[in-house]
Amino acid sequence: MTATAARRRRWLSAGGVLITVAYLLPVYWMLATSLKRSSDIFSTPPDLFPSPIALTSYTETVVNHAGIGRGLLNSTVIGVGTTIVTLAVAVPAAYALARLRVRFVALLMLLFLVVQMVPAVNLALPMFVIFSRAELVNSFAGLILANCSLAIPLAITILRPYFLSVPGEVIEAAKIDGCTTWSAFLRVALPVSTPGLITVAVISFLGAWGEFVFGLALASDESMQPITVVLAGLTNSFGTRWNDLMAVSVVVALPIIVVFVFLQRYIVGGLTAGATKS
Amino acid sequence: MTTTVAPPGTASTTPARAPRRARRWGDHLFVLPAVLFVAATVLYPLVFNVDLSFRDVGVAQIVNGGGEWVGWENYADQLGRDEFWHALAISLLYTGLAVAVAFALGMALAVYFNQRFPGRNLMRSLLLLAWILPTVVSANVWRWMLDGSYGLINTLLESVGLIDGDLFWLARPVPALFAVVFATAWSFTPFIMILLLAGLQGIPDTLYEAAKIDGAGAWRRFTSVTMPLLKPVNLTALLLCFISTFKTFDTVFLMTRGGPGEATMILPIYAYNEAFEYFRFDTGAVATTLMLVVPLGLSVFYFRSLRREELS
Repeated sequence: MTATAARRRRWLSAGGVLITVAYLLPVYWMLATSLKRSSDIFSTPPDLFPSPIALTSYTETVVNHAGIGRGLLNSTVIGVGTTIVTLAVAVPAAYALARLRVRFVALLMLLFLVVQMVPAVNLALPMFVIFSRAELVNSFAGLILANCSLAIPLAITILRPYFLSVPGEVIEAAKIDGCTTWSAFLRVALPVSTPGLITVAVISFLGAWGEFVFGLALASDESMQPITVVLAGLTNSFGTRWNDLMAVSVVVALPIIVVFVFLQRYIVGGLTAGATKS
Repeated sequence: MTTTVAPPGTASTTPARAPRRARRWGDHLFVLPAVLFVAATVLYPLVFNVDLSFRDVGVAQIVNGGGEWVGWENYADQLGRDEFWHALAISLLYTGLAVAVAFALGMALAVYFNQRFPGRNLMRSLLLLAWILPTVVSANVWRWMLDGSYGLINTLLESVGLIDGDLFWLARPVPALFAVVFATAWSFTPFIMILLLAGLQGIPDTLYEAAKIDGAGAWRRFTSVTMPLLKPVNLTALLLCFISTFKTFDTVFLMTRGGPGEATMILPIYAYNEAFEYFRFDTGAVATTLMLVVPLGLSVFYFRSLRREELS
């Protein structure tokens, strides 16, 4: 450990900052544009920093546009609904596949992984026909069901490793103390797997919040559309009002960014675990 | 320590075994909802889709049901259409290019952020923001970044002399394809970086030090130590990225809707248009069913490489 090694590290840090800033330039540009006046967005060369900072895109466009408020509300309902159903269905399943005496564990895990390879369009098309006949098009129930179709298998693949890491002796001990399988699950396995549960809840919510294909195909009625579909529609009606469009984009991205900043350690592990572990 | 002491565990587990076996079916109740759910929301729609693909389904049949059985007619129609093959070719081209760009960038970032320096964990996490941002948002931002007259990308390219005058990325076929490839790669790169970093951390430092002593430079160490040892991880990451990119719909749909002309008409958008633009749910079902072959075929190799990675 010498002075040269320390200097090298400082340079590496500086390079890392440079790479990160350059890479996230689009995110910054979204925010910067949203804070500009309409007259400032077309200046050449573009102003890197908005001056003056104008909140009009937020205070006038975002707040006053009925479709945006409705879309945010719809997305919240769909996101919360998807998260609750996913947790209720996936958590016991993942626990059983990790810790209980269940048949065909390998086959079921394979099924839950394969299902994640299916493109959303492949499900949206038949779902539209099925839901049309069952009168589930343009309903929260239909949209939540559609979102759960992909969220539940993902949740199971993420959660199973967490339950596998719960020592079997702990569960056995609880059973010897008189716990049933169910209460051992609720009172012993769940509390020690809280990080996994948070990960799954967060990822289910974020997935549903950002989901687009199901919303597009299964909610033709504007009052039922999630915010992602509303935003896609605004790209036509707003035209080149880029500051307004970026302001809406910021609002759509905001919950994701907030959750990411505060719960980042849960997400980073979960994202890759779901992709690589069986 | 006498012989009367049974090996630990045997005595206590034997009496417990009988009731536990009886309880087995109760344990299955934990999995049952998930299995039913996946059967109802994934397997049933997929089978239903195959059924649709063999019928004549127009707007009237969507709600009322029915639809005359027409056998392979819809398949013959699709397979005889140039637009279908064009969409498949564009899909493979788009996916291949995006995966190549994302993998090269992801590898470069992974190698860089595998070095030890203050702040690297924070920076790694921050980069993942590009991956978890809703695609609707990033596609929208890229449309603005790539604006012909006022876009930041053109300003940057002009300032270094790479282009002269306005370049309307999304209005011309080849630039539009590059644009959607680049926007897609931007989202996928941090994800690949994280997958590869996990692999890089498994390579012992001693190997690099030995290579250094043997006089290998940085590039030589990368090609002779990193790449060979990372091979199983690379394969898994490539396959996973290819499958996920092939499924991508939002980014391209929001940036170009498949245009200009058919320049970025990837298969998912083609299938979506068949059903939801032209209300041909039957041929749309054919297109989606055929489209499924690519990810499912590749997933076989993916699972095989996953298993190999776990063994190594």
